[in-house]
Amino acid sequence: MVQLTVQNVNRVLHDNAGQRINVLEDINFNVNSGEFISIIGPSGCGKTTLLRLISGLDQPEEGQLTVDGKPITHPDVSRGYVFQHGSLFPWETIKENISSGLKAVYGRHYDKKLVDHYIDLMGLKGFESAYPHQVSGGMAQRAALARSIVLRPELLLLDEPMGALDAFTRADVQNVIQRVWKQTRTTMILVTHDIDEAIYLGTRIIVMTPRPGRIKEIVTNPLTFPRDRTSDDFLKFRRTIQDKLNFGVTEN
Amino acid sequence: MLETVTLSKKQRIKAVKQDKAETKYWKPWRTTWNILSLVALMAAYAENQFVPAQELVNNGAYKWFLIAYFIYLVVVYAVGSVIHGRIRVYSGHFAQLNTILGLLLVVQDLITEKFAIIKLPFFVSFAQILDQIKTDQKLLIASTWSSLGLWLISFVIGTLIGVILGLFMGRYRQFNYWSFPFLKVIGIIPAAAWMPLTMVIFPTSYLAEIFLIAFAVWFPVAFMTIGGVQSISTDYFESAKTLGFSEFQILRKVVIPGALPNIFIGIFTAMGLSFTMLVISEMIGAKVGLGWYINWAKGVGNYTQVYAAIVIMAVLFSVIFSFLNKLQEYALRWRKRSN
Repeated sequence: MVQLTVQNVNRVLHDNAGQRINVLEDINFNVNSGEFISIIGPSGCGKTTLLRLISGLDQPEEGQLTVDGKPITHPDVSRGYVFQHGSLFPWETIKENISSGLKAVYGRHYDKKLVDHYIDLMGLKGFESAYPHQVSGGMAQRAALARSIVLRPELLLLDEPMGALDAFTRADVQNVIQRVWKQTRTTMILVTHDIDEAIYLGTRIIVMTPRPGRIKEIVTNPLTFPRDRTSDDFLKFRRTIQDKLNFGVTEN
Repeated sequence: MLETVTLSKKQRIKAVKQDKAETKYWKPWRTTWNILSLVALMAAYAENQFVPAQELVNNGAYKWFLIAYFIYLVVVYAVGSVIHGRIRVYSGHFAQLNTILGLLLVVQDLITEKFAIIKLPFFVSFAQILDQIKTDQKLLIASTWSSLGLWLISFVIGTLIGVILGLFMGRYRQFNYWSFPFLKVIGIIPAAAWMPLTMVIFPTSYLAEIFLIAFAVWFPVAFMTIGGVQSISTDYFESAKTLGFSEFQILRKVVIPGALPNIFIGIFTAMGLSFTMLVISEMIGAKVGLGWYINWAKGVGNYTQVYAAIVIMAVLFSVIFSFLNKLQEYALRWRKRSN
């Protein structure tokens, strides 16, 4: 079932000299309900720009984005967004942060058990009353994830949420995301520049090229779950994606 | 990390407080200094008792002050030498300062009432000031309450106006366009310049005083609040939007807490200005208050009373300052400590 449709989308910005820059050019793809899409590409290929368009934080100059046929005009709780640096509110405790969206939407009588459930699931027990600066980067990202997922969005957008983490913490957060995806069947779109991460998590992988930002290819991930990062199949598929990404570089 | 979890909440809070105290009060405990400070206070008492005075002073209040100070130090040191807690950290840190304060008391007493090196009526001993406070206590207590009340009303009004205007100017471009030019031009005028006009325009001088003090407060608070709102990272606004916050909720849960550090900078700037305006406006327009008391004492030529009011102001304004400091510490408890 098609859920998200991105049609002929162009994002055009102007630099200081007034020069037209095509940040995104002719973007077309569909996302089905329950999929996990990884968008991968070098920096400057417009991945984050694309994710912001899907969330409704920005609007495209040309083209159309729709969810279940309805055009995306503004941010909405049905589309969660996890930022690269988490952007937990530093003035709220971990628990207050996680419940902040629920409080905003449902008022004071929100489902407190749901909050506790996700605190448990994300391994944040014992840190409910800590402030974001007091916990590790991995914990902060898990809390940011919990803050979005607790609202039960139809679509969860992940903007390099593991980008600033070390390798061990990154693998840990990846597993948490995968677990949440499997349990809730939420459609997820992940932006990353880490090939392993894109393959480990994604059911389909959108490979993008920079200047102008275009979709080079959309590849269906042949790997079954559970995935092993060191298996032959994984490494073989990794090579395929790597080749697609390197194409532009060797050309120069 | 795991160890902290196994501590009970009470124990954890205690450990954190102890830790904080040790960074703030960093001078280590030395028994010698603690004893020296007691000796210095005994010297102050003995000097006052036995050196013949050239000026006629009632030293009763001063002696009670020294005794109270001495007893306080004895208690603090006794506790500190037995229990290794915050009191020990605190008293160890201040032992040197207390010693010097004791010696300063000796020196000031000698050069004023004992040898009259600096003379009455413009220079008085601390003993005379304390005696004056004791004599005028009814009037001074009434004046202090009156000043405190006036300051509190005016400061709260000025701060509220400043914060509300600042939040709106920082958040809404249209509002900023229509009001910021006026803020810049009007806010920069020293409140004291309005004094002749306010005394005529306002029906009572009390209202005029409130206006003047609030006027000194609102501008720095508004100005800092605007900067505070504008310095909030767009990430927080955007995540608030994706979490379903309404505009009102964004104001309450993102704009206000995000601007709070700057609001407090504005409040502390305004505090000094407000004390100045409090004293000036009481000197000009009032029939009560510490400013009025000083002006009245000047009129009758009793400078000891001027000193008395100054000492009380020092205490009152210090208390207000530390209260605001505590308030800030609590309101910004989510911030990372810089040291």
